[in-house]
Amino acid sequence: MLQAKNLTKTYGEQTALNSLNLTINEGEIFALLGQNGAGKTTTINCFLGFIQPSGGSASINGVSVAENALETKKYLAYIPETVMLYPNLTGIENLEFFSSLAGFSYGKEELSSFLSTAGLQKNAHNQRVGGYSKGMRQKVGIAIAIAKKAKALLLDEPTSGLDPKASNEFSEILRELAQNGTAVLMATHDIFRAKEVANRIGIMKEGNLVSVIDAKEISANELEKLYLQTV
Amino acid sequence: MKKIIANKEYTTLLRDKRFKIMGGLIASLLLVALLGGFASYRSLKKERDLAQKEARETWLNQGEKNPHSAAHYGSFAFRPKSEMSFFDFGVDSFTGTNVYLEAHRQNNPKFSAAQDSSSLIRFGEMTVAFVLQLLMPLLIIFLCFNSISQEKEDNTLKLMLSQGVSMSQIAWGKIQGFSKALAWIIVPALLLTFVLILIGTEGSLSADLLLRFALTLLAYAIYFFVFISLSVVISARAGSSRNALLSLLGIWVLACVILPKATTNIGASIFKAPSNFEFREAIHKDEENGIDGHNPSDKRFEALKKQVLTQYKVDSVEQLPVNFDAIAMQEGEKYSTMVYNKHFDRMENIYQNQNSVAAYSAILNPFMAVRNLSMGMAGSDYKTALAFQKYAEKYRYEMVETLNTHMRDFSKTGDWEKKADASIYAKIPDFDFKNPSIISVLRQNWVALLALLIWIILCVRMVSNLKNISLS
Repeated sequence: MLQAKNLTKTYGEQTALNSLNLTINEGEIFALLGQNGAGKTTTINCFLGFIQPSGGSASINGVSVAENALETKKYLAYIPETVMLYPNLTGIENLEFFSSLAGFSYGKEELSSFLSTAGLQKNAHNQRVGGYSKGMRQKVGIAIAIAKKAKALLLDEPTSGLDPKASNEFSEILRELAQNGTAVLMATHDIFRAKEVANRIGIMKEGNLVSVIDAKEISANELEKLYLQTV
Repeated sequence: MKKIIANKEYTTLLRDKRFKIMGGLIASLLLVALLGGFASYRSLKKERDLAQKEARETWLNQGEKNPHSAAHYGSFAFRPKSEMSFFDFGVDSFTGTNVYLEAHRQNNPKFSAAQDSSSLIRFGEMTVAFVLQLLMPLLIIFLCFNSISQEKEDNTLKLMLSQGVSMSQIAWGKIQGFSKALAWIIVPALLLTFVLILIGTEGSLSADLLLRFALTLLAYAIYFFVFISLSVVISARAGSSRNALLSLLGIWVLACVILPKATTNIGASIFKAPSNFEFREAIHKDEENGIDGHNPSDKRFEALKKQVLTQYKVDSVEQLPVNFDAIAMQEGEKYSTMVYNKHFDRMENIYQNQNSVAAYSAILNPFMAVRNLSMGMAGSDYKTALAFQKYAEKYRYEMVETLNTHMRDFSKTGDWEKKADASIYAKIPDFDFKNPSIISVLRQNWVALLALLIWIILCVRMVSNLKNISLS
């Protein structure tokens, strides 16, 4: 579903991403670990088409992002690190806005059920987002992704700043989405969360994908050790 | 897609405190400026209409007297208020409102409103045009400076783009949404303007006036569009909201404050105008010595005498069947008017050149374009004031000419006692000045029109080219 072939991005002398080869299949959750500047966000931005790769290609559902940026957007959903949304609009209105941009026209009840699926308590649906906590905003972000019924989900440190409970709920939702066939690429610093939710875990360093591990075959402690050795 | 973004922008803006407070402030300023402007327009119009009527009555009822005495007695011409001048005072407050019309002298219009006011008038008056030209862009800047930069900072821009929208669609949607919200302020003000025009003209709206109003609307619509799209484009290109605000405020100060003053000053220093004293001296000298400096007035007088005597085939002025004094006076009037017009045209040329520097700056500065067009349409520009002055001078000349001709034919040379019948005064028509037509206003302001057209194209291009902007 998500595929990177020799994906490379250089800024002058600096290599942000070096010949990345990665395939994430339907229903699979792939977690990218690595320090800041290791190339995780660059990878996601290449899939989003926000960055033009210097070499190689990123494709979604077999369609090259660089060549058909608008078409690939149909297959993907994206949740940025901090979802700020529009404080003057309610949760439902925010969701409605982003869904309609993607070409969906849901009724109020459907929108509300997406928010509930994302774990947002019912009484907050019609409140303005200005009064939401970070976790609540993140849930609206998830609802936006769910409502898009995307085949691929791109997440940039989605659990940073979330409390353990919200973080746990988030993992649940990701697993459900994967079960329904969504391919998930998640950049994160949370080793424990990565081990919990992902099928495979990749560790990046200075633009290179150094190692890829099957999450079932490693414990959280071992993963942490490996991570520290790698970076 | 655009429409979805426009609607969202519109809804969030209407819920925004900034918009409510500042929009409310601007709307009330507009209301005050409109009603205040209209009240002063009405009282001035009434005053001047009445004064003109009285001047006419005094003229008609001055009783029997020697025609030339009547020409000296003279009359007054009052400049009528243009119907839309309450919308844009233009230079009206600084130009003279009435001219004393008398024999031998081409007087300037006197008694401007500025003369009757404290020096505070120098700081500008609270007119609708002032609010629309200066404050409205400021409101637009404060509402739009972070329209895209904020979305960058909040990551919502990435979220939007990931939903499959293009950058220029987002920008166009925003422009549309902002325009719709701003319409809540502008449209009621313009509707009220229209109602006031109807009241001011007592319902007899001419096509010329309607066209002036429509073009004024169009000019301001383009002006606001330029500021909205400029704000959105700069917001998209700026590194941060702060930078966007600073850049936009810089542009506002440059366009609305510095450039207009600078270009006016540059114009005045390149094309130096003589003082009123020098102007009058030059006219006096030319009248004395002849326009070429070799034809003094006594020589001209002798030549005229000879010519008239030959024409009537007599030897002395006493034998003439007509009044030679009247002929001589009329000839003098003709000469002095010719001299005056020559110098006046020269002055007009200088002023025209001075103004042209500012007028051409409209190409760079949409503020100048809309300012010149707005006062041109309102009939409160320098050109209209000039047209009044010229019309008054022409009227004065014809008035004196009629009286001199009458004197020539009905009395003999040296007869200053014979009185003309009072009916002669009615032969001079009413003073009925009409503003130059809209065509001449448009011809005068072609630079401004061209500038607005260029700015539309420029803005459309800038917005449509918003593709490869940095997203963080």
